[in-house]
Amino acid sequence: MIRVGVDVGGTFTDIVLERREPGTDPEVTVTKVPSTPHDQSEGVVAGVLQVCRLAGVEPAAINQLFHGTTVATNMVIERDGAHVGMLTTKGFRDILHMARHKRPHNFSLQFDVPWQSKPLVKRRDRLPIAERVMPPTGDIEVPLDEDEVRAAAELLKKRGVEAVAIGFLFSFLNDAHEKRAREIVQEVMPEAYICASSDVVNVIREYERFSSTAMNAYIGPRTALYLRRLETRLKENGIEAIVRIMQSNGGISTIENSAARPIGLLLSGPAGGVMGGRWTGEHCDAANVITIDIGGTSADISVIQDGELRIKNPRDTTVADLPVLAPMIDIDAIGAGGGSIAYVDAGGAFRVGPRSAGAAPGPACYGRGGTEPTVTDAQVALGRLDPERFLGGDLSIDKTLAEEAIRTHIAEPLGLSVTDAALGILKIINNNMALAINANSVAKGIDPRGFSLMGFGGAGPLHVVALGEMIQAKDMISPLQPGITAATGLLVGDLKYEYTQSVLATLDDAADETLASINAIADALTAEATAQLDADGIPPEKRRFTRVMECRYVGQGFELRAAMPEGALTQANKQAVIDAFFDVHKETYGHAFRDQTTEGVTLRVIASAEVDTLRLKELEKGGRANPTDAILYTADTVFDDGVATPTPRYDREKLKADDTVDGPAIITQHNSTTILPPGYVATVLGYGDIRISRT
Amino acid sequence: MTQDLDPITLQVVGGALHSIADQMGNVLYRMSYSSIIRESQDLGAGLFDTAYNTLCESDSTPMHIGSLPGYLRGIAQTIPLDAWKPGDLVLHNHPYKGCSHSPDIAVVMPVFFEGELVGFSANTAHHVDIGAATPGLIIDVADMWSEGMILDAEKLYDEGVRNETLWRHIRNNTRVPGLVMGDLEAQIASAELGVRRFQELMARYGKATVIQATQQLMDYTERRMRAEIAKIPDGEYFAEGFLDDDGRNYGEHLAIKVKVIIDGDSATIDLTGSAPQTPTAFNVPFDGSTMVAAFFVFRAMLLDTYTTQDDIPANEGSFRPISVIAPKGCIFNPNMPAAAEARFCQIQRMADLVIKALAPVLPDRCTAGNAATLDFAAYSGVKDNGDYWVFLEVNEAAMGGRPFSDGPDTVEELMRNTRNNPLEDLGMHLPLICDRYEVRDDVEPGAGKFRGGQGVVKSQRYLTPGQTTHENDRHHDVPWGIFGGKPGATGKLELHNIHSGETRSLHAKLSGMPTQTGDVISYFSPSGGGYGDPLERDPAKVLDDVLDGFIRPESARRDYGVALVEVDDGYGWALDLAATESLRADLRA
Repeated sequence: MIRVGVDVGGTFTDIVLERREPGTDPEVTVTKVPSTPHDQSEGVVAGVLQVCRLAGVEPAAINQLFHGTTVATNMVIERDGAHVGMLTTKGFRDILHMARHKRPHNFSLQFDVPWQSKPLVKRRDRLPIAERVMPPTGDIEVPLDEDEVRAAAELLKKRGVEAVAIGFLFSFLNDAHEKRAREIVQEVMPEAYICASSDVVNVIREYERFSSTAMNAYIGPRTALYLRRLETRLKENGIEAIVRIMQSNGGISTIENSAARPIGLLLSGPAGGVMGGRWTGEHCDAANVITIDIGGTSADISVIQDGELRIKNPRDTTVADLPVLAPMIDIDAIGAGGGSIAYVDAGGAFRVGPRSAGAAPGPACYGRGGTEPTVTDAQVALGRLDPERFLGGDLSIDKTLAEEAIRTHIAEPLGLSVTDAALGILKIINNNMALAINANSVAKGIDPRGFSLMGFGGAGPLHVVALGEMIQAKDMISPLQPGITAATGLLVGDLKYEYTQSVLATLDDAADETLASINAIADALTAEATAQLDADGIPPEKRRFTRVMECRYVGQGFELRAAMPEGALTQANKQAVIDAFFDVHKETYGHAFRDQTTEGVTLRVIASAEVDTLRLKELEKGGRANPTDAILYTADTVFDDGVATPTPRYDREKLKADDTVDGPAIITQHNSTTILPPGYVATVLGYGDIRISRT
Repeated sequence: MTQDLDPITLQVVGGALHSIADQMGNVLYRMSYSSIIRESQDLGAGLFDTAYNTLCESDSTPMHIGSLPGYLRGIAQTIPLDAWKPGDLVLHNHPYKGCSHSPDIAVVMPVFFEGELVGFSANTAHHVDIGAATPGLIIDVADMWSEGMILDAEKLYDEGVRNETLWRHIRNNTRVPGLVMGDLEAQIASAELGVRRFQELMARYGKATVIQATQQLMDYTERRMRAEIAKIPDGEYFAEGFLDDDGRNYGEHLAIKVKVIIDGDSATIDLTGSAPQTPTAFNVPFDGSTMVAAFFVFRAMLLDTYTTQDDIPANEGSFRPISVIAPKGCIFNPNMPAAAEARFCQIQRMADLVIKALAPVLPDRCTAGNAATLDFAAYSGVKDNGDYWVFLEVNEAAMGGRPFSDGPDTVEELMRNTRNNPLEDLGMHLPLICDRYEVRDDVEPGAGKFRGGQGVVKSQRYLTPGQTTHENDRHHDVPWGIFGGKPGATGKLELHNIHSGETRSLHAKLSGMPTQTGDVISYFSPSGGGYGDPLERDPAKVLDDVLDGFIRPESARRDYGVALVEVDDGYGWALDLAATESLRADLRA
């Protein structure tokens, strides 16, 4: 069995190949190639061919290929999706234009309103249709004007529209009008990409549902095209593997499903990192992990509790300021990374980020024209990143340029030494990241003291100890391959599909008929899921179905997920849902109510199937303390006391299981550097991950 | 004398304070019950020192930012600093003791650290109904005693023990106890969180460091604000406008006069000459609202968060350089016992007139005339079981054109920034159905190089009889154009019955007007004025506006000098650039 994971990032495409033959140790090969932003599939194929050469396997021998892609996300950010038309209920043409009528800035007169200045569907292409479904029953007050639908479709066709979104009010109660309109549009525009809001996400709240539908239509045609082109290009190069795509919820899905519901892919890239973090946690016996994936311009933070991913509340799932109702791992991105620029502002305050030097010009020490000091420059100035070892020596960097930038822009204006200024840069950026971690943990009822902090991405292990100290994490982890954690995460996900429908029923006083209708909805969603797993050829014993009810107290507006009991909902077991909601409410807000009525708002069925997971060879046992054969050399490094201390550099490839290294030390590998300050000890674990604890 | 903290620690503590305020705001709106808090986020939360300075505030709606110190000073009239004990919790909404207006009930808790009072954790949120003369909102009432429950520094918790009598009293004095009590619970949770986080911050960095940091952060914000004011030439700047009426004496306009005095790095807004206080609730509490509007407008203009890259801490420092003169007895500083609940339209206009006054010297930071109003609607009725339903809706308007971009359409402008309510959520829970919610199409936005924002139209239909109150204005005074831009459009309110087919126009302000089944109330917001000469507008944008239905083809020609030709591409119109050039030359001549 040969499986390959390919994660496409902004600069590099990372590839992991796993070969497992019965009776032998698994072999894992990793590599990197430059990304090809004009068509990511070029880089993907180049990388797969390269990893095959390195591993000595024939491309045709690959069984499965797993892919994390930023194609859909980039399309939204760069606004180069499809020309979309929309049919919507007469009288409500501008739901997408008004959004929630809240402006993005409180204290601004000159702010931009992205949904008005860069709409996914222009007003001219949003065509009102006479029809009216009435709440709360779903009765029809005004029948669908089919002639209007046909005329609208003809007009959109004439305009060269590529995709059509259909969004009618209250379609979550009765989708007959949307379904009929979709049929008519399909007749008129057989080539177009068409989606109705009740197909994309069948839940209450018109703006969020329409926005999700418009987004799906906007990214649909080109995402589908990309996925098809990828398949073709792989085949042309002799790669016949089954292709699977990473979804925002950490599950993997088929090409066909991804093309039909591309809004599920918008966090495909970062999700791989969290999956890789969870998997690494399992290797380290850490079920409670906070992951931070630190790159050049941003850091992604997520929390894994009891081995479970945390899923974002549907009220918070946005992409480029637009709501998208697709399940996403709760990942917070902040503008802090190696390229974050340090500066002194007009009022004399010392700031770092969110502006970034990016890949071009890059940090000052790259000598590519960047003159402003960055976080990377601070690391270099303090001797924490060695010029000669940077990216294994692939990139030459100049320490004097780093020092010069810090002196000119920070040290001199603030009257600090270059060393103190560099330490300050790190302290401020670490504080920004620590606050973001707290916002994703403490603020959500998670106590970091019971969690391991795992730092990955190229810069993760440079910061992980300092951050772990600030948030008071239990301990810190530097994964075996910090630079490619996201790619390994692709090989450890389950196949996963989610289906939702609004139910809107109070549970405490639910009559038998109400429970019956909830059960009917659950059965229908489960049947949909079963059909999908049938199509994927998943044997019944490997299927898992999880059902959750998204609940609120009657009158509230934000729902939280409560687990549903096994089997049908009954008068006997409905209290279990209410209790589960009570618990999660208490965890989230610190309060919950026994005297309030619980309302089930949305029923969600999650169908998953465990597929093979990546396995690594166990490392040879060492059990040594500060093994001298792993030391490359010793050089001065400045830690928080501001004093240059001779600090040994260890070659990570030479460390064995159960070896320990006492700080101060620096552990280097090709694409990453782990900083171990004084007062900490690193222990190499069975598969090569490093756990760092206080001594 | 205290030593200045190093700039690094300052950033660290500043970031932590900001994060605490955010968390307080989040807990409050996510836990709350009423749509006005949970959807509209009509709330504010933050930490304060023992001198009642704002240390940090949640980024929710501007109206609440800067109002809490007034509440704290009002409470101090009853509870001096030395009377606070750990575990106390006070409710306050007295309009003449610092509150913003009476429905905004504040929850205040003292923060003790190592046995010493170090500050306060407080929040305020708009409650759906506090038992006033009419459900939800009031306009034409006798005095402040018609506003409902007045809580004057009432201790709900005394050293951690809840006063059950007071709790029951509140429950028994609102039309919608289910919403109000749940919302108060959310406010309490938010205040408790603030206390805990403030204590944790002090435990971590030390009390002296935190207090020193808060002082320096306030100084920093003050310095940034003063530096911007100092760039404006010293002098006096004037603007005036008028409000429709007080909601009783329909059509009797109420003047607003604004004089902005710039003196070095300080600014004063002098409202002398504005209308006297009104006999209705259409008055503005001075500390809690007039002052807040003054703070807002300078921050939005001078420390615009979109054009300023630096994240400037939201604290007392931005308030210090600003003062306001409003003679006692005027609409912006009424005497007790005048009612002062309906105050929003006035402060919107005051803020907008400050922008107008300063526009000649701040052409790159101002806007053309904004809608600068509010339509605050209370829809209510009695259910079959005798319980009330009350729904408060904030309807958006539009902004004026701006130096580098069009005025945003259908948006919350100036002092407000709430979120609308999902129509589907309302439809599922209330005997009210929305029949129309779109960009307004019966008027055009103010023409300009950058056009005004287009307003909104929203129609709500009663499915059972009920009543309505609208706090609204600007049916008479049109939003102005600026630097050659054209004026926008006034708002209007209409009543139509789907059964009788009758339509009639309504005044902007309604007090508990009875409604029948099938009555549809349609709100049309004002549209913003244009910025700059319309003949300088990019013709491609004019074509866009025609295709998107914001303006008619004949307006493109008349107002913008843009010539269009009919084409058969499914859209109907294309630019004729040569004809446009000569047309514009003719119009300029």
